[in-house]
Amino acid sequence: MYFLTEEERKRLLKGLIPKSRQNEVNEDLRGWNWHRPPLEPLYDVKLALYEVASRYCPTGRDLFLRRVHKVKPPPNKAMVLGSVFHDTLVTIMVRAKKLIYEKGVAGYQEIVQALREPDLAPLERHRASLGDEGFEEAMRRCRIIWEFEAARIIARVQEYLAKQPHIGEDSLVSLAIPVVVEQKLDGSFLGLSANLSADAFTFSEPMVLDLKFGERRPFHRLTTAGYALVMEALHEYPINVGCLIYAEFREDRLVISKDFHLIDDEVRQWFIEERDEKMRMIAEEIDPGRADDCRPACPYHATCWPSDGRSPGPRPRRPGP
Amino acid sequence: MEQDEGARVLPLRVSDIKQYMYCPRVVYYQYVLPVERKVTHKMEHGQLEHLELDRLEKRRKLVEYGLDEGERRFQVHLHSDRLGLTGILDLLLVTPRGYFPVEFKYSTRDPALNHKYQLTAYAVLVEEQFGRPVRTGFLYMSPGKRIQPVDITENMRIHLRRMMGAIRRMVAEERVPARTRSGARCRDCEYRRFCGDVL
Repeated sequence: MYFLTEEERKRLLKGLIPKSRQNEVNEDLRGWNWHRPPLEPLYDVKLALYEVASRYCPTGRDLFLRRVHKVKPPPNKAMVLGSVFHDTLVTIMVRAKKLIYEKGVAGYQEIVQALREPDLAPLERHRASLGDEGFEEAMRRCRIIWEFEAARIIARVQEYLAKQPHIGEDSLVSLAIPVVVEQKLDGSFLGLSANLSADAFTFSEPMVLDLKFGERRPFHRLTTAGYALVMEALHEYPINVGCLIYAEFREDRLVISKDFHLIDDEVRQWFIEERDEKMRMIAEEIDPGRADDCRPACPYHATCWPSDGRSPGPRPRRPGP
Repeated sequence: MEQDEGARVLPLRVSDIKQYMYCPRVVYYQYVLPVERKVTHKMEHGQLEHLELDRLEKRRKLVEYGLDEGERRFQVHLHSDRLGLTGILDLLLVTPRGYFPVEFKYSTRDPALNHKYQLTAYAVLVEEQFGRPVRTGFLYMSPGKRIQPVDITENMRIHLRRMMGAIRRMVAEERVPARTRSGARCRDCEYRRFCGDVL
Protein backbone atom coordinates (compact mmCIF):
# COMPACT_ATOMS: atom_id res chain seq x y z
CA MET A 1 0.00 0.00 0.00
CA TYR A 2 2.98 2.26 0.50
CA PHE A 3 4.15 1.91 -3.12
CA LEU A 4 3.18 4.70 -5.47
CA THR A 5 1.48 4.24 -8.82
CA GLU A 6 2.94 5.93 -11.90
CA GLU A 7 0.23 8.61 -11.75
CA GLU A 8 0.93 9.27 -8.09
CA ARG A 9 4.65 9.51 -8.74
CA LYS A 10 4.02 11.97 -11.56
CA ARG A 11 1.69 14.06 -9.41
CA LEU A 12 4.33 14.15 -6.71
CA LEU A 13 7.21 15.04 -9.02
CA LYS A 14 5.42 17.66 -11.09
CA GLY A 15 3.09 19.02 -8.44
CA LEU A 16 3.80 18.74 -4.78
CA ILE A 17 7.57 18.51 -4.68
CA PRO A 18 8.26 21.65 -6.79
CA LYS A 19 5.59 23.45 -4.76
CA SER A 20 7.22 22.40 -1.51
CA ARG A 21 10.53 23.82 -2.69
CA GLN A 22 8.91 27.07 -3.76
CA ASN A 23 6.87 27.68 -0.59
CA GLU A 24 9.55 27.84 2.04
CA VAL A 25 8.57 26.65 5.48
CA ASN A 26 9.09 29.28 8.16
CA GLU A 27 12.39 28.56 9.90
CA ASP A 28 10.77 28.75 13.35
CA LEU A 29 8.60 25.79 12.40
CA ARG A 30 11.36 23.46 11.30
CA GLY A 31 11.87 20.56 13.70
CA TRP A 32 15.57 21.32 14.13
CA ASN A 33 14.61 24.51 15.96
CA TRP A 34 13.02 22.47 18.74
CA HIS A 35 15.16 24.31 21.30
CA ARG A 36 13.42 27.66 20.87
CA PRO A 37 9.84 28.96 20.72
CA PRO A 38 7.40 28.08 19.35
CA LEU A 39 8.61 24.47 19.14
CA GLU A 40 10.26 24.37 22.54
CA PRO A 41 7.79 22.63 24.88
CA LEU A 42 6.50 24.69 27.78
CA TYR A 43 5.64 21.77 30.04
CA ASP A 44 7.45 18.67 31.17
CA VAL A 45 4.66 16.37 30.00
CA LYS A 46 5.57 13.74 27.40
CA LEU A 47 2.82 12.93 24.91
CA ALA A 48 2.48 10.10 22.46
CA LEU A 49 2.17 11.42 18.95
CA TYR A 50 -1.28 9.96 18.51
CA GLU A 51 -2.35 11.80 21.66
CA VAL A 52 -1.48 15.11 20.03
CA ALA A 53 -2.83 14.22 16.60
CA SER A 54 -6.09 12.57 17.62
CA ARG A 55 -9.14 14.78 17.54
CA TYR A 56 -11.77 12.06 17.52
CA CYS A 57 -12.97 13.52 20.82
CA PRO A 58 -13.84 17.14 19.92
CA THR A 59 -12.81 18.49 23.33
CA GLY A 60 -9.88 16.16 23.96
CA ARG A 61 -11.50 14.80 27.11
CA ASP A 62 -10.42 11.25 26.24
CA LEU A 63 -6.82 12.35 26.81
CA PHE A 64 -7.73 14.16 30.03
CA LEU A 65 -9.42 11.04 31.40
CA ARG A 66 -6.56 8.77 30.38
CA ARG A 67 -3.70 10.91 31.63
CA VAL A 68 -5.19 12.76 34.59
CA HIS A 69 -7.81 10.31 35.91
CA LYS A 70 -5.91 7.24 34.64
CA VAL A 71 -9.04 5.78 33.02
CA LYS A 72 -7.96 3.10 30.57
CA PRO A 73 -10.90 1.36 28.86
CA PRO A 74 -10.26 -1.47 26.38
CA PRO A 75 -9.94 -0.42 22.73
CA ASN A 76 -13.06 -0.55 20.58
CA LYS A 77 -13.46 -3.00 17.69
CA ALA A 78 -12.37 -0.51 15.03
CA MET A 79 -9.16 0.17 16.95
CA VAL A 80 -8.41 -3.56 17.30
CA LEU A 81 -9.03 -4.21 13.62
CA GLY A 82 -6.95 -1.19 12.58
CA SER A 83 -4.07 -2.49 14.66
CA VAL A 84 -4.38 -6.01 13.21
CA PHE A 85 -4.43 -4.73 9.62
CA HIS A 86 -1.41 -2.52 10.29
CA ASP A 87 0.48 -5.43 11.80
CA THR A 88 -0.38 -7.67 8.85
CA LEU A 89 1.11 -5.13 6.48
CA VAL A 90 4.22 -4.76 8.61
CA THR A 91 4.59 -8.54 8.74
CA ILE A 92 4.57 -8.97 4.99
CA MET A 93 6.97 -6.09 4.34
CA VAL A 94 9.47 -7.35 6.90
CA ARG A 95 9.04 -10.96 5.80
CA ALA A 96 9.73 -10.02 2.19
CA LYS A 97 12.95 -8.26 3.16
CA LYS A 98 14.02 -11.16 5.38
CA LEU A 99 13.34 -13.69 2.62
CA ILE A 100 15.45 -11.77 0.12
CA TYR A 101 18.37 -11.65 2.55
CA GLU A 102 17.96 -15.29 3.57
CA LYS A 103 17.37 -16.91 0.20
CA GLY A 104 19.43 -14.49 -1.88
CA VAL A 105 18.84 -13.50 -5.48
CA ALA A 106 19.34 -17.12 -6.59
CA GLY A 107 16.51 -18.26 -4.32
CA TYR A 108 14.01 -16.03 -6.06
CA GLN A 109 11.48 -18.77 -6.77
CA GLU A 110 11.48 -19.77 -3.10
CA ILE A 111 10.92 -16.14 -2.08
CA VAL A 112 7.90 -15.86 -4.37
CA GLN A 113 6.49 -19.12 -3.06
CA ALA A 114 6.97 -18.16 0.59
CA LEU A 115 5.43 -14.71 0.11
CA ARG A 116 2.22 -16.23 -1.17
CA GLU A 117 1.63 -17.98 2.17
CA PRO A 118 -0.14 -15.54 4.50
CA ASP A 119 1.17 -15.17 8.03
CA LEU A 120 -1.81 -14.34 10.23
CA ALA A 121 0.01 -14.35 13.56
CA PRO A 122 -0.90 -10.68 14.31
CA LEU A 123 -4.56 -11.62 14.08
CA GLU A 124 -4.28 -14.68 16.32
CA ARG A 125 -3.34 -12.48 19.26
CA HIS A 126 -6.78 -10.83 19.11
CA ARG A 127 -8.90 -13.96 18.66
CA ALA A 128 -10.49 -13.63 22.11
CA SER A 129 -11.43 -9.96 21.82
CA LEU A 130 -12.92 -10.31 18.33
CA GLY A 131 -15.19 -13.30 18.96
CA ASP A 132 -15.72 -16.12 16.43
CA GLU A 133 -17.62 -14.15 13.84
CA GLY A 134 -15.41 -11.06 14.15
CA PHE A 135 -12.33 -13.24 13.90
CA GLU A 136 -13.50 -14.90 10.67
CA GLU A 137 -14.29 -11.57 9.08
CA ALA A 138 -10.96 -10.09 10.20
CA MET A 139 -9.14 -13.14 8.80
CA ARG A 140 -10.83 -12.67 5.43
CA ARG A 141 -9.69 -9.07 5.35
CA CYS A 142 -6.16 -9.86 6.49
CA ARG A 143 -5.90 -12.33 3.61
CA ILE A 144 -7.06 -9.62 1.18
CA ILE A 145 -4.34 -7.28 2.48
CA TRP A 146 -1.72 -10.02 2.29
CA GLU A 147 -2.59 -11.08 -1.25
CA PHE A 148 -2.68 -7.50 -2.47
CA GLU A 149 0.66 -6.60 -0.97
CA ALA A 150 2.39 -9.89 -1.82
CA ALA A 151 1.46 -9.48 -5.49
CA ARG A 152 2.88 -5.96 -5.55
CA ILE A 153 6.12 -6.91 -3.83
CA ILE A 154 6.63 -9.91 -6.10
CA ALA A 155 6.03 -7.73 -9.17
CA ARG A 156 8.58 -5.17 -7.96
CA VAL A 157 11.17 -7.83 -7.16
CA GLN A 158 10.67 -9.40 -10.59
CA GLU A 159 10.98 -6.02 -12.27
CA TYR A 160 14.36 -5.27 -10.68
CA LEU A 161 15.65 -8.79 -11.20
CA ALA A 162 14.78 -8.54 -14.88
CA LYS A 163 16.42 -5.14 -15.22
CA GLN A 164 19.58 -5.66 -13.12
CA PRO A 165 21.35 -8.95 -13.92
CA HIS A 166 24.12 -8.39 -11.32
CA ILE A 167 21.99 -7.13 -8.46
CA GLY A 168 22.78 -8.19 -4.89
CA GLU A 169 20.38 -8.78 -2.01
CA ASP A 170 20.87 -5.45 -0.27
CA SER A 171 20.32 -3.45 -3.43
CA LEU A 172 17.29 -5.53 -4.33
CA VAL A 173 15.72 -4.83 -0.96
CA SER A 174 16.36 -1.09 -1.16
CA LEU A 175 15.03 -0.80 -4.72
CA ALA A 176 12.06 -3.15 -4.54
CA ILE A 177 10.91 -2.30 -1.01
CA PRO A 178 12.25 1.23 -0.37
CA VAL A 179 10.15 1.75 2.72
CA VAL A 180 11.01 1.54 6.40
CA VAL A 181 8.00 0.35 8.36
CA GLU A 182 7.43 1.12 12.03
CA GLN A 183 10.33 3.57 12.05
CA LYS A 184 11.24 4.12 15.70
CA LEU A 185 11.82 7.74 16.63
CA ASP A 186 12.70 9.65 19.77
CA GLY A 187 10.30 12.59 20.01
CA SER A 188 11.55 13.95 23.31
CA PHE A 189 13.08 17.10 21.74
CA LEU A 190 9.52 18.18 21.01
CA GLY A 191 7.98 17.04 24.27
CA LEU A 192 6.80 13.76 22.76
CA SER A 193 7.42 10.16 23.72
CA ALA A 194 10.93 8.75 23.27
CA ASN A 195 9.43 5.65 21.65
CA LEU A 196 7.40 6.89 18.69
CA SER A 197 6.74 4.66 15.73
CA ALA A 198 5.97 6.06 12.26
CA ASP A 199 3.94 3.74 10.02
CA ALA A 200 6.31 4.17 7.11
CA PHE A 201 9.01 6.41 5.73
CA THR A 202 10.51 6.62 2.25
CA PHE A 203 13.92 8.05 1.56
CA SER A 204 13.76 8.71 -2.18
CA GLU A 205 11.90 11.94 -1.45
CA PRO A 206 11.77 12.19 2.33
CA MET A 207 8.10 11.51 2.93
CA VAL A 208 6.16 10.32 5.95
CA LEU A 209 3.36 7.86 5.24
CA ASP A 210 0.51 6.98 7.54
CA LEU A 211 -2.05 4.28 6.90
CA LYS A 212 -5.68 4.66 7.99
CA PHE A 213 -8.50 2.15 7.90
CA GLY A 214 -11.34 4.57 8.35
CA GLU A 215 -12.91 7.67 6.87
CA ARG A 216 -10.89 10.75 5.99
CA ARG A 217 -10.55 13.42 8.66
CA PRO A 218 -8.74 16.76 8.24
CA PHE A 219 -6.83 16.24 11.49
CA HIS A 220 -5.15 13.10 10.15
CA ARG A 221 -2.56 15.43 8.66
CA LEU A 222 -1.45 16.25 12.19
CA THR A 223 0.11 12.79 12.34
CA THR A 224 2.35 13.26 9.32
CA ALA A 225 3.20 16.79 10.47
CA GLY A 226 4.21 15.48 13.90
CA TYR A 227 6.48 12.80 12.48
CA ALA A 228 8.00 15.28 10.04
CA LEU A 229 8.84 17.65 12.91
CA VAL A 230 10.35 14.82 14.94
CA MET A 231 12.45 13.60 12.01
CA GLU A 232 13.66 17.12 11.31
CA ALA A 233 14.63 17.46 14.97
CA LEU A 234 16.52 14.15 14.91
CA HIS A 235 18.15 14.18 11.49
CA GLU A 236 18.24 17.91 10.64
CA TYR A 237 17.00 17.53 7.08
CA PRO A 238 13.74 18.99 5.77
CA ILE A 239 10.64 16.87 5.31
CA ASN A 240 8.07 18.72 3.28
CA VAL A 241 5.66 16.07 2.09
CA GLY A 242 3.31 13.69 3.85
CA CYS A 243 0.98 11.03 2.53
CA LEU A 244 -2.09 9.58 4.21
CA ILE A 245 -3.17 6.27 2.79
CA TYR A 246 -6.83 5.34 3.21
CA ALA A 247 -7.65 1.69 2.77
CA GLU A 248 -11.22 0.53 2.52
CA PHE A 249 -12.70 -2.94 2.05
CA ARG A 250 -15.43 -3.31 -0.56
CA GLU A 251 -16.55 -6.91 -0.63
CA ASP A 252 -13.42 -8.81 -1.65
CA ARG A 253 -11.60 -5.76 -2.88
CA LEU A 254 -9.25 -3.37 -1.24
CA VAL A 255 -9.81 0.21 -2.41
CA ILE A 256 -6.96 2.60 -1.69
CA SER A 257 -6.85 6.37 -1.96
CA LYS A 258 -4.00 8.65 -1.00
CA ASP A 259 -3.87 12.16 0.37
CA PHE A 260 -0.54 13.70 -0.57
CA HIS A 261 -0.01 17.00 1.19
CA LEU A 262 2.57 19.58 2.05
CA ILE A 263 3.83 19.69 5.61
CA ASP A 264 3.45 23.46 5.47
CA ASP A 265 3.45 26.25 8.05
CA GLU A 266 -0.24 25.83 8.76
CA VAL A 267 -0.27 22.15 9.66
CA ARG A 268 2.95 22.57 11.67
CA GLN A 269 1.36 25.38 13.68
CA TRP A 270 -1.77 23.36 14.17
CA PHE A 271 0.29 20.46 15.52
CA ILE A 272 2.20 22.72 17.92
CA GLU A 273 -1.02 24.36 19.13
CA GLU A 274 -2.57 20.95 19.76
CA ARG A 275 0.54 19.80 21.59
CA ASP A 276 0.65 22.91 23.77
CA GLU A 277 -3.06 22.87 24.57
CA LYS A 278 -2.98 19.20 25.48
CA MET A 279 0.18 19.51 27.53
CA ARG A 280 -1.38 22.39 29.43
CA MET A 281 -4.57 20.42 29.96
CA ILE A 282 -2.61 17.57 31.54
CA ALA A 283 -0.05 19.63 33.46
CA GLU A 284 -2.71 21.88 34.97
CA GLU A 285 -5.41 19.20 35.13
CA ILE A 286 -7.96 21.22 33.18
CA ASP A 287 -11.06 19.21 32.38
CA PRO A 288 -12.11 20.36 28.88
CA GLY A 289 -15.64 19.07 29.46
CA ARG A 290 -17.67 16.62 27.42
CA ALA A 291 -18.36 17.24 23.80
CA ASP A 292 -21.91 17.75 22.59
CA ASP A 293 -21.41 15.41 19.67
CA CYS A 294 -19.75 12.35 21.21
CA ARG A 295 -19.21 9.21 19.15
CA PRO A 296 -20.97 6.25 20.76
CA ALA A 297 -18.01 4.07 19.71
CA CYS A 298 -15.60 6.16 21.78
CA PRO A 299 -13.97 3.94 24.44
CA TYR A 300 -14.56 6.74 26.98
CA HIS A 301 -18.27 7.13 26.22
CA ALA A 302 -19.35 5.21 29.32
CA THR A 303 -17.04 7.31 31.50
CA CYS A 304 -18.30 10.62 30.18
CA TRP A 305 -21.94 9.51 30.14
CA PRO A 306 -22.25 6.98 32.97
CA SER A 307 -25.42 4.94 33.78
CA ASP A 308 -28.43 6.74 32.32
CA GLY A 309 -26.36 9.08 30.22
CA ARG A 310 -27.44 12.13 32.17
CA SER A 311 -24.87 12.22 34.90
CA PRO A 312 -22.28 14.86 34.16
CA GLY A 313 -19.20 12.74 34.98
CA PRO A 314 -16.15 14.46 36.51
CA ARG A 315 -16.72 18.19 36.90
CA PRO A 316 -14.74 20.52 34.67
CA ARG A 317 -12.06 22.55 36.36
CA ARG A 318 -10.79 25.82 34.97
CA PRO A 319 -7.47 27.37 35.88
CA GLY A 320 -7.18 30.95 37.11
CA PRO A 321 -5.34 33.59 35.09
CA MET B 1 -21.26 28.03 9.99
CA GLU B 2 -19.08 28.60 13.00
CA GLN B 3 -17.86 31.83 11.49
CA ASP B 4 -21.24 33.16 10.56
CA GLU B 5 -22.42 32.60 14.11
CA GLY B 6 -19.25 34.18 15.43
CA ALA B 7 -19.66 37.17 13.13
CA ARG B 8 -22.99 38.02 14.73
CA VAL B 9 -21.38 37.89 18.13
CA LEU B 10 -18.01 39.47 17.67
CA PRO B 11 -16.68 41.40 14.68
CA LEU B 12 -12.91 41.17 14.47
CA ARG B 13 -10.22 43.38 13.00
CA VAL B 14 -7.40 42.12 10.82
CA SER B 15 -4.98 43.48 13.40
CA ASP B 16 -6.52 41.04 15.93
CA ILE B 17 -5.27 38.15 13.80
CA LYS B 18 -1.77 39.59 13.81
CA GLN B 19 -1.87 40.29 17.54
CA TYR B 20 -3.30 36.88 18.39
CA MET B 21 -0.44 35.17 16.62
CA TYR B 22 2.07 37.43 18.32
CA CYS B 23 0.56 36.78 21.75
CA PRO B 24 -3.07 35.68 22.32
CA ARG B 25 -3.21 37.58 25.59
CA VAL B 26 -3.00 40.92 23.79
CA VAL B 27 -6.36 40.13 22.18
CA TYR B 28 -7.69 38.85 25.50
CA TYR B 29 -6.86 42.16 27.20
CA GLN B 30 -8.41 44.16 24.39
CA TYR B 31 -11.72 42.30 24.29
CA VAL B 32 -12.24 40.57 27.61
CA LEU B 33 -10.38 42.60 30.18
CA PRO B 34 -9.95 46.10 28.76
CA VAL B 35 -7.18 47.72 30.76
CA GLU B 36 -5.42 51.01 30.32
CA ARG B 37 -2.25 50.50 28.35
CA LYS B 38 0.59 52.85 27.77
CA VAL B 39 1.83 53.64 24.28
CA THR B 40 5.32 52.21 24.07
CA HIS B 41 8.25 53.58 22.14
CA LYS B 42 7.99 50.58 19.82
CA MET B 43 4.38 51.43 18.90
CA GLU B 44 5.17 55.12 18.22
CA HIS B 45 8.17 54.16 16.14
CA GLY B 46 6.09 51.66 14.15
CA GLN B 47 3.49 54.30 13.28
CA LEU B 48 6.12 56.75 12.07
CA GLU B 49 7.81 54.11 9.94
CA HIS B 50 4.48 53.21 8.41
CA LEU B 51 3.90 56.81 7.30
CA GLU B 52 7.35 56.91 5.75
CA LEU B 53 6.72 53.64 3.90
CA ASP B 54 3.45 55.05 2.57
CA ARG B 55 5.31 58.08 1.21
CA LEU B 56 8.05 56.00 -0.42
CA GLU B 57 5.66 53.48 -1.92
CA LYS B 58 3.91 56.20 -3.90
CA ARG B 59 7.10 56.48 -6.00
CA ARG B 60 7.42 52.76 -6.62
CA LYS B 61 6.64 51.26 -10.03
CA LEU B 62 4.40 48.23 -10.57
CA VAL B 63 7.17 46.43 -12.44
CA GLU B 64 8.87 45.84 -9.10
CA TYR B 65 5.93 43.61 -8.22
CA GLY B 66 6.34 41.75 -11.50
CA LEU B 67 3.23 43.47 -12.90
CA ASP B 68 2.90 45.57 -16.07
CA GLU B 69 -0.04 47.87 -15.63
CA GLY B 70 -2.70 48.64 -13.11
CA GLU B 71 -3.96 50.99 -10.48
CA ARG B 72 -2.61 51.47 -6.97
CA ARG B 73 -5.09 52.21 -4.19
CA PHE B 74 -3.71 53.21 -0.81
CA GLN B 75 -5.31 52.73 2.61
CA VAL B 76 -8.22 50.64 1.35
CA HIS B 77 -11.01 50.10 3.91
CA LEU B 78 -12.19 46.52 3.73
CA HIS B 79 -14.99 44.78 5.52
CA SER B 80 -17.14 41.67 5.35
CA ASP B 81 -20.35 41.18 7.31
CA ARG B 82 -20.30 37.52 6.43
CA LEU B 83 -16.87 36.95 7.93
CA GLY B 84 -17.28 39.54 10.67
CA LEU B 85 -13.94 41.05 9.74
CA THR B 86 -12.68 44.56 8.97
CA GLY B 87 -9.33 46.12 8.22
CA ILE B 88 -7.43 48.85 6.40
CA LEU B 89 -5.07 47.50 3.75
CA ASP B 90 -1.90 49.49 3.04
CA LEU B 91 -2.05 49.06 -0.72
CA LEU B 92 -4.23 47.24 -3.22
CA LEU B 93 -2.89 46.65 -6.73
CA VAL B 94 -5.78 46.47 -9.19
CA THR B 95 -4.47 45.03 -12.44
CA PRO B 96 -5.82 43.16 -15.46
CA ARG B 97 -4.08 40.08 -14.05
CA GLY B 98 -6.00 40.30 -10.80
CA TYR B 99 -6.11 42.00 -7.41
CA PHE B 100 -3.02 41.92 -5.20
CA PRO B 101 -3.02 43.08 -1.58
CA VAL B 102 0.24 44.60 -0.32
CA GLU B 103 1.14 45.02 3.33
CA PHE B 104 4.06 47.22 4.39
CA LYS B 105 6.34 45.97 7.14
CA TYR B 106 9.23 47.75 8.75
CA SER B 107 11.61 44.92 9.49
CA THR B 108 15.04 43.77 8.41
CA ARG B 109 14.14 40.13 9.12
CA ASP B 110 12.25 37.67 6.98
CA PRO B 111 8.47 38.08 7.15
CA ALA B 112 7.03 36.67 10.37
CA LEU B 113 4.12 34.26 10.48
CA ASN B 114 1.73 36.85 11.87
CA HIS B 115 2.43 39.07 8.85
CA LYS B 116 1.60 36.16 6.56
CA TYR B 117 -1.83 35.62 8.12
CA GLN B 118 -2.53 39.34 8.27
CA LEU B 119 -2.01 39.34 4.51
CA THR B 120 -4.24 36.26 4.18
CA ALA B 121 -6.99 38.08 6.05
CA TYR B 122 -6.70 41.06 3.70
CA ALA B 123 -6.76 38.69 0.72
CA VAL B 124 -10.05 37.10 1.79
CA LEU B 125 -11.51 40.55 2.48
CA VAL B 126 -10.51 41.74 -1.01
CA GLU B 127 -12.21 38.66 -2.44
CA GLU B 128 -15.34 39.37 -0.44
CA GLN B 129 -15.50 43.05 -1.30
CA PHE B 130 -14.51 42.94 -4.96
CA GLY B 131 -15.67 39.46 -5.88
CA ARG B 132 -12.32 38.58 -7.46
CA PRO B 133 -10.08 35.67 -6.46
CA VAL B 134 -6.77 36.58 -4.85
CA ARG B 135 -4.00 34.07 -5.44
CA THR B 136 -0.99 36.14 -4.40
CA GLY B 137 -0.24 39.01 -2.04
CA PHE B 138 2.95 40.90 -1.29
CA LEU B 139 4.81 41.85 1.84
CA TYR B 140 6.94 44.93 1.30
CA MET B 141 9.78 44.68 3.77
CA SER B 142 11.55 47.91 4.53
CA PRO B 143 14.27 49.20 5.05
CA GLY B 144 15.70 46.52 2.75
CA LYS B 145 12.99 47.40 0.17
CA ARG B 146 12.35 43.73 -0.39
CA ILE B 147 9.12 42.62 -2.00
CA GLN B 148 8.12 39.17 -0.89
CA PRO B 149 5.33 37.49 -2.86
CA VAL B 150 3.12 35.21 -0.76
CA ASP B 151 0.84 32.61 -2.36
CA ILE B 152 -2.50 32.57 -0.56
CA THR B 153 -3.09 28.84 -0.22
CA GLU B 154 -6.17 26.92 0.83
CA ASN B 155 -4.44 25.82 4.02
CA MET B 156 -3.68 29.44 4.91
CA ARG B 157 -7.37 30.29 4.53
CA ILE B 158 -8.33 27.32 6.72
CA HIS B 159 -5.78 28.36 9.31
CA LEU B 160 -7.16 31.91 9.30
CA ARG B 161 -10.69 30.61 9.91
CA ARG B 162 -9.43 28.42 12.72
CA MET B 163 -7.72 31.38 14.34
CA MET B 164 -10.82 33.55 14.08
CA GLY B 165 -12.85 30.75 15.67
CA ALA B 166 -10.28 30.43 18.45
CA ILE B 167 -10.35 34.17 19.17
CA ARG B 168 -14.15 34.19 19.33
CA ARG B 169 -14.25 31.17 21.59
CA MET B 170 -11.65 32.74 23.88
CA VAL B 171 -13.71 35.93 24.16
CA ALA B 172 -17.05 34.13 24.54
CA GLU B 173 -15.68 31.88 27.29
CA GLU B 174 -13.62 34.70 28.81
CA ARG B 175 -10.80 32.22 29.04
CA VAL B 176 -7.27 33.45 29.69
CA PRO B 177 -5.07 31.99 26.95
CA ALA B 178 -1.57 30.69 27.53
CA ARG B 179 1.04 33.43 27.26
CA THR B 180 3.26 33.67 24.22
CA ARG B 181 6.02 31.09 24.14
CA SER B 182 8.54 33.73 23.20
CA GLY B 183 9.60 35.56 26.36
CA ALA B 184 11.38 38.25 24.33
CA ARG B 185 7.99 39.54 23.15
CA CYS B 186 7.01 40.31 26.72
CA ARG B 187 9.87 42.79 27.19
CA ASP B 188 8.30 45.62 25.18
CA CYS B 189 4.67 44.60 25.69
CA GLU B 190 2.27 47.28 26.88
CA TYR B 191 0.32 44.65 28.84
CA ARG B 192 3.30 43.13 30.58
CA ARG B 193 2.35 44.34 34.07
CA PHE B 194 -1.03 42.61 33.83
CA CYS B 195 0.40 39.14 33.18
CA GLY B 196 1.04 37.72 36.63
CA ASP B 197 2.87 34.65 35.35
CA VAL B 198 5.41 36.55 33.22
CA LEU B 199 8.61 37.44 35.05
